[in-house]
Amino acid sequence: MTEIELDFRKIMDSIENVRIYVNTTMCNGCGLCGEICPFGLPQLNNSGKFEIKKPELCTECSACQRNCPNNAIFMQEQKGCGCLWDARQRKKNAKNNNACCPPDNNSCCS
Amino acid sequence: MAVVYMRKLEEEPETYDSKFTTLTKGINLKVQDWVLEHINKSESIVEVGCGPGKLAARMASEDKTVIAFDKNPQMINVAMKNFPRDQDVNLLYQIGSFSDWSLEDNSKELIVSTFMLSELRPLEQQIFLRNSWKALKPDGRIILAAEFSPSGFWKLSFKIKRWWYRKKLKQRKQKKTSLLNWFFKYIEPIGFKITDRKKWKHGTIQGLELQKVKVNENDKLRYYQPKHKKFKGIHSQLRIYRCILSGQIDRVPIEPGIYQSGNPDRTSPIIVTANYEYTYIKVMRSLKHIDAWVLCVDSNGINVWCAARGNDFGNEQIIEAVEATNIHSFTEKKTLILPQLSAGGVAIPQLPKKSEKFPFKIVYGPIWSKDLPQFLNERPARKPDSMKIAKFTLKHRIQAGITHTTFLFRKIFLIPLIFILGLLLTLNVFLGLEWSNNLWWVGEICLWILLTNIIICLLFPLSNFTRRFICKGIFFGIINVIVLGALTWILHNSIWYVLLNLCLFMWIAFFSTMSFSGYTMSTNPREIQATYPIFTTINIILLIASIVLSALGLILLNII
Repeated sequence: MTEIELDFRKIMDSIENVRIYVNTTMCNGCGLCGEICPFGLPQLNNSGKFEIKKPELCTECSACQRNCPNNAIFMQEQKGCGCLWDARQRKKNAKNNNACCPPDNNSCCS
Repeated sequence: MAVVYMRKLEEEPETYDSKFTTLTKGINLKVQDWVLEHINKSESIVEVGCGPGKLAARMASEDKTVIAFDKNPQMINVAMKNFPRDQDVNLLYQIGSFSDWSLEDNSKELIVSTFMLSELRPLEQQIFLRNSWKALKPDGRIILAAEFSPSGFWKLSFKIKRWWYRKKLKQRKQKKTSLLNWFFKYIEPIGFKITDRKKWKHGTIQGLELQKVKVNENDKLRYYQPKHKKFKGIHSQLRIYRCILSGQIDRVPIEPGIYQSGNPDRTSPIIVTANYEYTYIKVMRSLKHIDAWVLCVDSNGINVWCAARGNDFGNEQIIEAVEATNIHSFTEKKTLILPQLSAGGVAIPQLPKKSEKFPFKIVYGPIWSKDLPQFLNERPARKPDSMKIAKFTLKHRIQAGITHTTFLFRKIFLIPLIFILGLLLTLNVFLGLEWSNNLWWVGEICLWILLTNIIICLLFPLSNFTRRFICKGIFFGIINVIVLGALTWILHNSIWYVLLNLCLFMWIAFFSTMSFSGYTMSTNPREIQATYPIFTTINIILLIASIVLSALGLILLNII
């Protein structure tokens, strides 16, 4: 199989439960993602591309995905932040699904 | 006064006028009369935020040329239906606003805007004033009416009313309007003088007439820069404590705009940050008087990380700040140094490409402001780990613990504790006991909540064996049962009382750990949203069991 086919399979296999994934064919190794991830998850691999080590540690802040100049990062972004009270707001008001601490409110916690 | 409520009415353009009149108790009509009194003969008028168009129609009927803008197409629809264009009346309704109108420079004599200002954010208010200045002829005027905060005694009643309306709005998930805290500061620097002022309702609604001041023909656009804000000394230290104590609840904004660290000049770098007071003080202190321009974007008084995740610190705010402050005229440096954590809200590929309006390139700086001096000095292409990795260290845990505990007391436990206090007091009197009997119990619960949270924030790394917050909660529950159980035994020396209270200890720890999740940077929206239903179930079971068992314990202790 060619490299692209392999890549494709990798994506399809993991698309169900994948949180975040760098498409190595699109990555040009610029390293911006590595500079902005607060947990240092994107790491340079042997072929000069970036790859997410330990995706289970990702907080899904979307920083790498939204700033990648090549759109090489795939991520199923879920709105919100990792706060219990934010989750509560969202459960209570499923329609208001646009931001952490919905901007219309004073804070997500009250 | 209830202009806060305006956004709700705007959803129904058809009934906006009548409802707004009810809301302001007819003052909006008086405002319209006042505006009409101020219009001279044969002026060309622009109205911004015309709503259903009544004022514009009234002005036009007095033989004026009126262009009325509103950015809400439905409002314009209603306006055009209500006031169809006559042949002899010069009235034009247009969808648009001050940010995108295409008016010639120095072409208009009068700009009118009623009850729009409070819907603009501080930097937008500045842009509005400047764009109006540009469009007005020399000596042209703006006539404004808006809700302001009154002074003296009336301020208190105003604040209470406003708080009440905001609470209602929150229940309905409505956007609130903002107060014009700083508006008067902008008028003069941007090139206007106040020529008339009228107050209604003790100053909660005010009418302003501003006149364009122009010294000579090639006068340039002027910009407002907030005064230098102190970041050292007791006062700013107290502000830091205020922010730490109320972090999860209150927004503490400072004026957005350009601040100076040291004595910056045309070669100094631009540091961008949020307009949360804590953030500002920390950044300025970290810079240690290094010469730099500090641009505080309007993040609504929220810290960088939360603002980025909540649409309060993103491309929109950066573009707005650049436009409103004219930062590119201050320095030749064409790089904006953004806080690393703002990357969760900013998207570089979506920013306008380098242009005259936005001539900047974006660089993400260090994650902690304390590394700014080193970053500015070395400008590393690859930051070392210490500059980019977020760790939840003891220092951060203690700060987060303080913020979180005050949040728990203020927002969760305050009302139940007062209720229990009242209940015990009533019971004591009712049962003929001494009135102060049993009241110690409330104090003891406060102590347990405090101790639990100290345990959680100190021992948090111990729970790193799992990522699941439910497990973390149960883990701290078990620790709590052991520690607080031992303490209770020492205090009361009753094994029954200890056993009956174990469930309470479990619940406090479980609840506090779950509530702490937002601080720990070790969870994500998907996980926590999936956990939430499980949390509510366990929470309710534990809570009910705690109430029953602890009440039983208290009764038992009193009998024995």
